[in-house]
Amino acid sequence: MDRRTALKNLALVIGSAALLPRCTEHNPVTHFKNFDVTNDQQSLVADMAETIIPKTGTPGAKDLMLDQFVWLMLDDCTKKDDQKTFFKGMGEFNDLTKKTYNKSFADLDKKQKEDLLNTFEKKSNGYSKELNGFFSTVKGLTVFGYTESKYFMTKEIVYELIPGRYNAWLPVKNNIAAKNG
Amino acid sequence: MANLNIDSAKDRTFDAIVIGSGISGGWAAKELTDKGLKVLMLERGRDVKHIKDYPTTNLYPWEFKHRGEVPMDIQEANPIVNRCYAFKEDAMHFFVKDHDHPYVQEKPFDWIRGYQVGGKSLLWARQTQRWSDFDFEGPARDGFAVDWPIRYKDIAPWYSHVEKFAGISGNRDGLAELPDGEFLPAFPLNAVEDYFSKHVKAHYKNRYVISARCAHLSKPNQIHLDQGRAQCQERTLCQRGCPFGGYFSSNASTIPWALKSGNLTLRPFSVVESIIYDDNKNRATGVRIVDTNTKQTEEYYSKIIFVNAAAINTNLILLNSKSKRFPNGLGNDSGVLGKYVAFHNYSAHIGADVEGFEEWATDGRNPAGGGYIPRFRNIFKQETDFLRGYASGLYGYRGYNHKWEGVGEDFKAGLSKKEYGPWRIGSHFMGETIPKETNFVTLDPNLKDQWGVPQLRISVDYDDNDMKMQKDYVEQLTEMFTSAGFKNIKAETNHQAPGLDIHEMGGVRMGNDPKTSMLNKWNQLHACNNVFVTDGACMTSTSCQNPSLTYMAITARAVDHAVSEGKKGNV
Repeated sequence: MDRRTALKNLALVIGSAALLPRCTEHNPVTHFKNFDVTNDQQSLVADMAETIIPKTGTPGAKDLMLDQFVWLMLDDCTKKDDQKTFFKGMGEFNDLTKKTYNKSFADLDKKQKEDLLNTFEKKSNGYSKELNGFFSTVKGLTVFGYTESKYFMTKEIVYELIPGRYNAWLPVKNNIAAKNG
Repeated sequence: MANLNIDSAKDRTFDAIVIGSGISGGWAAKELTDKGLKVLMLERGRDVKHIKDYPTTNLYPWEFKHRGEVPMDIQEANPIVNRCYAFKEDAMHFFVKDHDHPYVQEKPFDWIRGYQVGGKSLLWARQTQRWSDFDFEGPARDGFAVDWPIRYKDIAPWYSHVEKFAGISGNRDGLAELPDGEFLPAFPLNAVEDYFSKHVKAHYKNRYVISARCAHLSKPNQIHLDQGRAQCQERTLCQRGCPFGGYFSSNASTIPWALKSGNLTLRPFSVVESIIYDDNKNRATGVRIVDTNTKQTEEYYSKIIFVNAAAINTNLILLNSKSKRFPNGLGNDSGVLGKYVAFHNYSAHIGADVEGFEEWATDGRNPAGGGYIPRFRNIFKQETDFLRGYASGLYGYRGYNHKWEGVGEDFKAGLSKKEYGPWRIGSHFMGETIPKETNFVTLDPNLKDQWGVPQLRISVDYDDNDMKMQKDYVEQLTEMFTSAGFKNIKAETNHQAPGLDIHEMGGVRMGNDPKTSMLNKWNQLHACNNVFVTDGACMTSTSCQNPSLTYMAITARAVDHAVSEGKKGNV
């Protein structure tokens, strides 16, 4: 094995190790390229995503692994400063949950989770920029991941790779495409 | 040192060399090979074969790891190209990254490039309008630049020639300022665009909203099928390369056509360092290239040379082609080379809400992008405090109305609703700019690129005329939108650098007088008549129409002249 191959293999080993949760005492950590995430943090984002896009008769955020998409986009497509802000906002979010319910988000019931997240929809909620930013990032990426998922684009609003038509005048009734339009 | 072995030199000799494989280079190769010449086409980048080398063309949105977004490390490493609207996960492999080919910005200039076979013809926005005599007579009438050495009648038959082959969709609108062409059926205006078109026609003199004319096969003819192309399928994923050949690109059309003739040799990975001028023969004899894989220099020879490297790189090649006879760059007796660079002013857009038209929406996607408002300012006479005018894009659209507020079951269900929201309308500004001596490119005396070629210094900026015109666009479009009853009208201006319009032109301009121009009316260098420049570098003025169709027509015309004069021994 020459030196280059050896180095490459070593990098592979290190690379795959980085993807495995490394156990600390109670809260294993996953290493992303730009930050480490604890299991608690992962659970929080997964629970928030599931609250935003819940499993109903159709798949929800956890089924579609939208939380993993949130982390991927935060890691790959977000500025370093915005990543820092995200984690700061996440800390504040945990404080807010504790303050409001004296519980962690994971321990809230469904109604409480929805109520808490809905407070972010009010324009004058009095939250810090970081806190509002954290919520809007989780929600934005969750919804983006959902509406661009294979499930959504094949079963809900079907994406056509090859429309084969441009109908400039599609008849519409009551804001819905008229049949045979 | 180049290998000058005689047999090898013979192998490296062709009837013609075409530098560049983009929209104009492809046409040069097609026309030259059609006329039986043995042609070498040099492309600095890699080969991109039609269909085979379009890796993303059939991917669904969810098959892109980042759903189309460009990873932040790539964005931050490429601030220039990242500003281009088409630099996204699906097409970023067709763009030159900032560090690949650096240049010095004396003033901010976003130089957007595509180094591969087909060049930017893979990526262009496919808008194709003819110029009229209001454009070709512009500099003479309004007293800027120099007079164009050609008029509409000189180029009209060549517009027809290239339109028939490329396939241009459009209506015969009968406008003097935007001559009709050889059209395939137009993509129609939708309900709101059509309403606005009728409103403008009824309320304004000499203002029109027409279907945008574009290089899409709305209904292919035999000549298009013969190229292996098929009807446009309205994917509007053109920037990925089209597996149907639904839009015109060198890759889908001119290059495979020229290859089929057996007369074309395509050599990718070939950066042209300079054109070789023989001081004894008083003519150009070939080109010197750097093979980008081996970094070795090689020479190729030919009787005629077409320079189609894309406007700025064509300037670079000529500036770097120094000889005893031309110490300041090939053909540069006048000192004009590299100067009078101009572009299109894209620094404004406008949007508004549209009430009504609830009974209509659209289905499928419009490859033409919507409507087009031809220039209406200063056409028949000078009427404003700025020179020239602008065209405008125009598009009405209506999407599903999705409520963004909330979380949970109802919110989720809402995202799947197919209930249409209100219509919106938008427009963008495309202004003519005035070529000036103070807008120029030069060679940096010290800095070189990775191929050992001098780096360019680019010094191009807006002027007062551009700002006045931008203001007029905002005022006029706001007034037209208001008059049409549109609501919540918002105009925005930006400070985007020149270059981001990707319509840079000039530096090797055409003209009648060798003292003030580089090229004659046949696109030959005045001082070296076997070198032809027929890409954006040749443009004397910029008009406000998208320029690619004019490059194609000028190229076909120049090839016809080169070959017929060549037969007479005059080139």
